[in-house]
Amino acid sequence: MSLPKMKTTEPLTMPHPPTGSWVSRLVWNFRHHPKRELWFAWWVMVIFYQLYGVLFFFVTRVQPPPSPAWDTPTVVRWFDDHGFGILAGFGVVFLVAGMCAPMNALLAYSMRRMSVSRLFAYSYLIIYSLAAVPGMLVMAIAMTVGALRPERDPEIIQWLYDFAFLSFSGTMGVFLIGSLVWMVAILLDKNRVFPKWFGYLNLCNALTEVVVAPAWMFQRGAFAWNGAIAWWINMVVFVLYTGVFLTLLRRMIQREDFGIGPLPNLPGKHVAVLSDSVGAAS
Amino acid sequence: MTNLADTGSRPQQLDEKPRKFVPGQPDMWMFVLFESLLFTGYFSVYLVSRTQNESLYLQSQTDLDLRNGVFNTIALLLSSWAIARCVQASREGAYRSALINAFMTISFGLVFLVSKVFEWVKQIHMGNTFTSNEFFQHYFFLTSIHCIHLLIGFIVLGIVVYQLWSPARRSQQLVETCATYWHTVDFLWVLIFALLYVVR
Repeated sequence: MSLPKMKTTEPLTMPHPPTGSWVSRLVWNFRHHPKRELWFAWWVMVIFYQLYGVLFFFVTRVQPPPSPAWDTPTVVRWFDDHGFGILAGFGVVFLVAGMCAPMNALLAYSMRRMSVSRLFAYSYLIIYSLAAVPGMLVMAIAMTVGALRPERDPEIIQWLYDFAFLSFSGTMGVFLIGSLVWMVAILLDKNRVFPKWFGYLNLCNALTEVVVAPAWMFQRGAFAWNGAIAWWINMVVFVLYTGVFLTLLRRMIQREDFGIGPLPNLPGKHVAVLSDSVGAAS
Repeated sequence: MTNLADTGSRPQQLDEKPRKFVPGQPDMWMFVLFESLLFTGYFSVYLVSRTQNESLYLQSQTDLDLRNGVFNTIALLLSSWAIARCVQASREGAYRSALINAFMTISFGLVFLVSKVFEWVKQIHMGNTFTSNEFFQHYFFLTSIHCIHLLIGFIVLGIVVYQLWSPARRSQQLVETCATYWHTVDFLWVLIFALLYVVR
């Protein structure tokens, strides 16, 4: 279902900020900028991904993931070596986990700005909100429980280790469906919110999530949870994908006119209309 | 956004813009690039693993029937030929012929799918499963991920049929975009076939 084909005739008239000190301009932007909520959500997203990278890769050092093939003493030693980083790093993760809310809201907003049914935005919002629980919080809880008492029974430590990493990998289906929802919305959209190639990049990202499924069967090799295919290639695609959607969301906010028709191009920028939507002729 | 239903029914427009011309949406060619890079990664992992245990790979490959792989390849090449004829016919406004060729593409795709399922069943009966050894991990992974592309391809071919069916639609650009996707499925298979069945 699509909205009536309407073109916004009145472009957004952007009120001019005062020409004073940077403080007064900042205050003015906070109080009057028509896109302040959108920019807020975008900056939250940028900061969250920076924090995510630093916390998961450098502070807790749970990524890249260690081997699922390790025996119990090696896993216990790994927890001993990483104990403080895990407790401190995941402490911050618990603190900032709520940043997912405005991030998901902005992603859903992009779909609400499209000419497609609201169902796409709602599905995406729900599925990604739920994904934060197993993908981030459950993993963080299992890891901190393991690191809190190093003297605990080693078998339980290993249990927590498996539980944490499988919980992290277990969000793959969510990202798979989320990417497909976004892809279909982009391909059907007539408001040119995103270029069609980004829709196809969503398909690529979705297909790399499928590849994580064998992680439940293997403890070593390319398909284990730390494997070249199940983790490394997947992560490279995800980082690229994240960089692309951050850039495209930024451009969307710049182009936003708060209308319901096609998003205007940025002033002074020649944007070739490369393609049409799948539903063009419908 | 331009309405392709209009542009599609005027083949002469394609000649007016020779400088920018690629078949279908340029966006789909970006997808071809993404997928090529992604599969280059998968193939690299396969080849590196192979160098570490070459005898196992060589021995496992003897369980694969080269004739099966050749048959699969011919089926997909014929499907690519049919979709190319479909695009050509659609450009010329011969929509009935284009539709017949689209259905031929689907038929050849189905032949590939059925023969692939038979091959998997045969391998499983021989005791070669996804967890048997490293070679068969890659074999089942590459053939399965390709089959997922093939299944998506059937949806894509459904769009081609939908477009060609009614004079109210018939977007040439969409037909060509879908054909580009289908050629990618074929292209990826040829590489997978070469790596799994032929390279020794």
